[in-house]
Amino acid sequence: MILDRTRPLFIRLLLLVVLVLVPPVAWIAYQAMGEFTRGLVPEMDKKAEAIGRDLELSIERAVGYGIPLDQLQGVDQFFAPVLAANPEIRYLAVTDRGGKVLFTEGAELNALNAIYGGVDFATDMEHSRKFALGSFIDLAQPLSIKGGRIGHIHVGMDQDYVRGRLQEILIDLGVVTLVALLVAVEILLFVVTFNITGPMRVVGTVMDRVRRGDFSCSAGVTSDDEVGRFVHGFNGAIRLADQLFRRLEAYMEEVKAAHFDAGVVEKVKDIESRVRFLFRFARNGQPEVVNEHQATDIRLPLFLFVFAEEISRSFMPLYIRDLYAPIPGLSPEMVMGLPIALFMLVIALASPSAALLANRLGARRVFLIGLVPATIGFVMSGLAFTVYDLIAWRVATALGYAFITMACQGYIAQVSQQRTRAQGLGVYVGAVLTASVCGTGIGGVLAERVGFRVTFLVAGVLTVITAVLIWRLLGSAQPVAEGPSPRKRDFLRLLRNWRFSALVAFAAIPAKIALTGFLFFLVPLTLNRNPSIDLGDMARMMMAYPVSVVLLSPLVARFADRVGWRAGLVAVGGLIGGAGLVLPAFWGEPVQAVQVAILLLGISHGLSASPQLAMIPDLCWTECRAIGQTNVLAFLRLAERIGSFAGPLLAAALLPLYGFEGAVAALGWVVLGMAVVFALLSFAYHAGPHIETEWGE
Amino acid sequence: MGQSSIAGGAGACLPPARPVRWSLARKVSLALLSILLSTLVVTAFFAYYKFESVYSAQVQSRYSFVVFTIKKKVEDSLNLGFALRQLRQVQEIIEREKSRDPQILAVEVYDYRGEVLFDTDRGAIGTKVSESLAEAIRSGMQQSFSVMDEDNLIVGLPLVNNLGKVEGGVVLRYPIAYVEKGVSGLLTQLLKSIAIALVAASVVAVAGLYVLFGGVGRKLGSMERAMGEVLSVGGQAIPENGGDSFEARFAEFVAKTRETIDHVKDATDEVGRLDRLM
Amino acid sequence: MRRLSALALALTLMLLLLAAAPPAGAAEPAAKPFRIYMALWRGWEDAAQGFKDYFANQGIPVELIIRDAGQDKAKLKEFVAEAKALKVDLVFTWGTTVSEEMLGRFDAVDPEQHISDIPAVFAVVSQPVGGVVPSLSSSERNITGTLYLVPMETQVNLIQSYRPTKRLGMIYNPLERNSQVAAEQLEGIGKAVGFDVVALPVEVSEGKPRAASIPVKVAEIKAARVDFLYIPPDTFLNINRDILTQAALDHAIPTFAAAENPVVTSKAMFGGVYRYYTVGQLTAYKAEQILVRKIAPKDIPIDAPKRLSVLINMPVVRQIGLFPPMKLMGLAEIIDRTEAKENKP
Repeated sequence: MILDRTRPLFIRLLLLVVLVLVPPVAWIAYQAMGEFTRGLVPEMDKKAEAIGRDLELSIERAVGYGIPLDQLQGVDQFFAPVLAANPEIRYLAVTDRGGKVLFTEGAELNALNAIYGGVDFATDMEHSRKFALGSFIDLAQPLSIKGGRIGHIHVGMDQDYVRGRLQEILIDLGVVTLVALLVAVEILLFVVTFNITGPMRVVGTVMDRVRRGDFSCSAGVTSDDEVGRFVHGFNGAIRLADQLFRRLEAYMEEVKAAHFDAGVVEKVKDIESRVRFLFRFARNGQPEVVNEHQATDIRLPLFLFVFAEEISRSFMPLYIRDLYAPIPGLSPEMVMGLPIALFMLVIALASPSAALLANRLGARRVFLIGLVPATIGFVMSGLAFTVYDLIAWRVATALGYAFITMACQGYIAQVSQQRTRAQGLGVYVGAVLTASVCGTGIGGVLAERVGFRVTFLVAGVLTVITAVLIWRLLGSAQPVAEGPSPRKRDFLRLLRNWRFSALVAFAAIPAKIALTGFLFFLVPLTLNRNPSIDLGDMARMMMAYPVSVVLLSPLVARFADRVGWRAGLVAVGGLIGGAGLVLPAFWGEPVQAVQVAILLLGISHGLSASPQLAMIPDLCWTECRAIGQTNVLAFLRLAERIGSFAGPLLAAALLPLYGFEGAVAALGWVVLGMAVVFALLSFAYHAGPHIETEWGE
Repeated sequence: MGQSSIAGGAGACLPPARPVRWSLARKVSLALLSILLSTLVVTAFFAYYKFESVYSAQVQSRYSFVVFTIKKKVEDSLNLGFALRQLRQVQEIIEREKSRDPQILAVEVYDYRGEVLFDTDRGAIGTKVSESLAEAIRSGMQQSFSVMDEDNLIVGLPLVNNLGKVEGGVVLRYPIAYVEKGVSGLLTQLLKSIAIALVAASVVAVAGLYVLFGGVGRKLGSMERAMGEVLSVGGQAIPENGGDSFEARFAEFVAKTRETIDHVKDATDEVGRLDRLM
Repeated sequence: MRRLSALALALTLMLLLLAAAPPAGAAEPAAKPFRIYMALWRGWEDAAQGFKDYFANQGIPVELIIRDAGQDKAKLKEFVAEAKALKVDLVFTWGTTVSEEMLGRFDAVDPEQHISDIPAVFAVVSQPVGGVVPSLSSSERNITGTLYLVPMETQVNLIQSYRPTKRLGMIYNPLERNSQVAAEQLEGIGKAVGFDVVALPVEVSEGKPRAASIPVKVAEIKAARVDFLYIPPDTFLNINRDILTQAALDHAIPTFAAAENPVVTSKAMFGGVYRYYTVGQLTAYKAEQILVRKIAPKDIPIDAPKRLSVLINMPVVRQIGLFPPMKLMGLAEIIDRTEAKENKP
């Protein structure tokens, strides 16, 4: 393994983590399943007995009125509702004294006859008896009239039912395991880069300078592990050379100053200039300490913070609904959409100043500053009384979110040189998306168990951990002044570029509308109406979005680089997303339709997100040169937040008009319409004078 | 250590090796084990709560079935035109149900005003039920309702006469402890499983990490040794099997350092010779 | 999930409370009993008893002023005057004649001749719509009431649920308007649902139906190979129920009766009715809404009891050997006099 690269070491570590995490979870799940079955079966028996007794009484009553057991009428219709109301009961049957099946519902008569044929019902059947029949448990209770036994009623329990109920938990545990793996990856990535790769990069930098004869620096690593020990020795070697030179220098000074023979002095001067020409040593004897910051340093704190924010993703609209209080002039749906919309608005408004501040004060301080409102926001959101104060706390969180994301972007921009900028951006996007997967999934499952409010408090605890990490581990990076920030006029010029405007208006904004309006707002509300879907299920369904973006994005980025068909990918992505949202209008199964719509939205954004950014340098070649690519991208981000803000409000406006599935579809038509416009425009992207003049320059 | 020989004087030598207090393997083990522990605890937590909810739902569905059978019997009598209050046989019905299952704490029938008309605990007849129970029946819905009292669970159904009017309600109380007892077995089992899984996985994890980071440590150690060797004796710091790019760069570094030291030493010697010349 | 459903329950309950909670203490017994004027047509029977018992069961103090017209239309005018003079709180009218005479047809109410200021409830009126009220949803005036006839569709469904029927026989008195209507309705439904109706009127001589012709008609019905014989709520057949049901039983024809008596006191096999007692109770429930909850009578819809009384005459069932389905057994009141004797030695 190469020590200054993360990947080889990390892959081995990942294998180990999978090996260590997955089997124990699987084993515990297996153990728990066994215990579940043991615990649940007696309880199911009791219920089957209660049902059997009730049916027994009805049948005995009928027989008591003189109806022969084998001539009972409508037994199937009598049994059917019992089966329907008790899913764990698979069949009901009545047998006569000889064990011949007279009536059955839920199972084939012949199948039961074959099985009961061998059973002796004549003896030892005064009480109910249980026996296993394949995957069923058959509970037979005697039917008797005036002390004489006339037959049996059989309640057949489905063993698979227990298994089915318990399989639900396997999905839960699957989510937990996935999240645990992702968290483990984040933490171990951090541990490896922080302890090994990072220091080794520093060593590499110092080494390269020494190879060029420059002994004026040393590696600034002071850990007390093997790496620290190695670096200590490494620095020692450099210092040894330095000390020898120092001694030589002193000696030469002495000779130069004290020697009477000018020829000797001249020769010593020659030696000195030769040594100084060949090697460079620190001027004052104090070597320059080299510390290198990396984009990955900030990944774990960013991950944890976004995790905290995403925890409330799957239930935020439901929580708002619980706290609902009327706001004059706004419909109830609007009020419910408002906290989400305002959250997005505040991020948009605060981001530019947060970015400036991050440049001035340094990423570390701005990150820490941002954590203060964010933590307060999370904790107080959990304690909110009504929607009024919830809005205030969400705005606080949004402020923190803007500060922290800008700090992270600033940090990454500072530490990564131009050529690794894309890689640095990858670190940022990767952390945010992974956190989104984990937060959404775990948040729903957690809220299901401990309630909304406690889940918010968990988010607060996560931000505190983030603060400690930043405080202890992140050396404050030197603020690097960016170029002069662009004036508003430059942005107006950007908007005059129709290709850019079209990208913003018909690709970036509808994508955000779909994200915030549909996924963040309508999905929880729509799914919540189905009583069979709990919060955990809902969160799992929503996870399809970040998971598909995470999986698809890197592949698409590579594909787009090779094929260069970026506008087309953005267009196709937009169309897929819009089409997905329209689905519930045509599909009778709203839950499945919503699930597919979420998945298609993920695919849509996975397809279009990175090509969208990658298009910018081509699209705005002149503007990028004038105001800098970073600023153009920042402006795109800012502009697309119009969509983030509008999404929930638009959805809230559509809700009373069209109902839940209707609102999803209506939003879908809007998004799809805009995507179609972009698709049509994208055909014109590669033609026209614009590109030609760019090439001409 | 023979570094002093090249230094040509006392005092300038490679510093003594720094002790390793927290080896990499230990650090990473600590991180990995804490992840492992929290994963297992969360897993167990979810498993337990899921089981608890499935189990209590099962218990509740059984008791709501029992309540439903009582409801049917009482309503059949109501349909004959008697007032709920007059149905003396109800007392017998509920007492029979209670005697069937020792876990049932009480079965109560109360009227729409919340006054208890029949109760397996006969002393409670004539008292008022809690407000939540009196409210629960007012909707007259078909589904059973469930309420939690201090330490017992209650399932119930409204009693509706054939005029469609809610006449009262029937509720069944059973102890929370019953559900808790049913799931406690799982809890101990889970704790046991966690302990075993944790120990087993920890052993694998620590062993794996020591192998993995032991390799890193050994590599670093050998590089350091090679450096000491080269600086004191001379030669090449490239490992026998070639080494990767980092090691190659390191070898260059060592060679350069060695060259520098030699050069400086030569220069010192030369200055010394010049100094002594006169 | 439990947390959520508990929450949902709480929310629902709150909404329901807001929407439907009666004013607190409204049901508390008032100090002064309500005075109710009961005008009957042919003496004290089950509907009147159900009406009376309801107040007793609910603990609502009432003072009942009971008057029986003895099937004499002339007395009804005096009743109106008396009720007005006594300034009673509510009037109860039994039967079509009493109700129409005392309360007036909906389009011809005369405050001089009819009860108009005092709220009234009617019971046992065969065709209230177009009679005392314009529609079932509201009387548009100071009265409300109950239905006592089971809708024909419901009766047919009940027969079909006992045994799928392809051909339905019926015997009726052609002189009774109600029976003619029933025969027409039955044929209409038969066409829609897909079964034949063989409806035979009894013979009429000198303007009177002949009871002796009943067994002949039953034999004809038998020859038509019907699955069921439908017995309409017909006064003549009610009086001659023993002849009719015995004849049917002799031919082993299963019979369905739209009235209580042929099943309970004779040999019809089964029936589906609203029992008079229940109808009386429901009428009293409406009176309670007017008197205790102060709901305006015009806001109380006119309807039938929620649950049908299904009556099964077990000795007849055993004799014919056509056993009822289990589901129906569960719902029905089983009439089994011999069984009862055996059970109580």
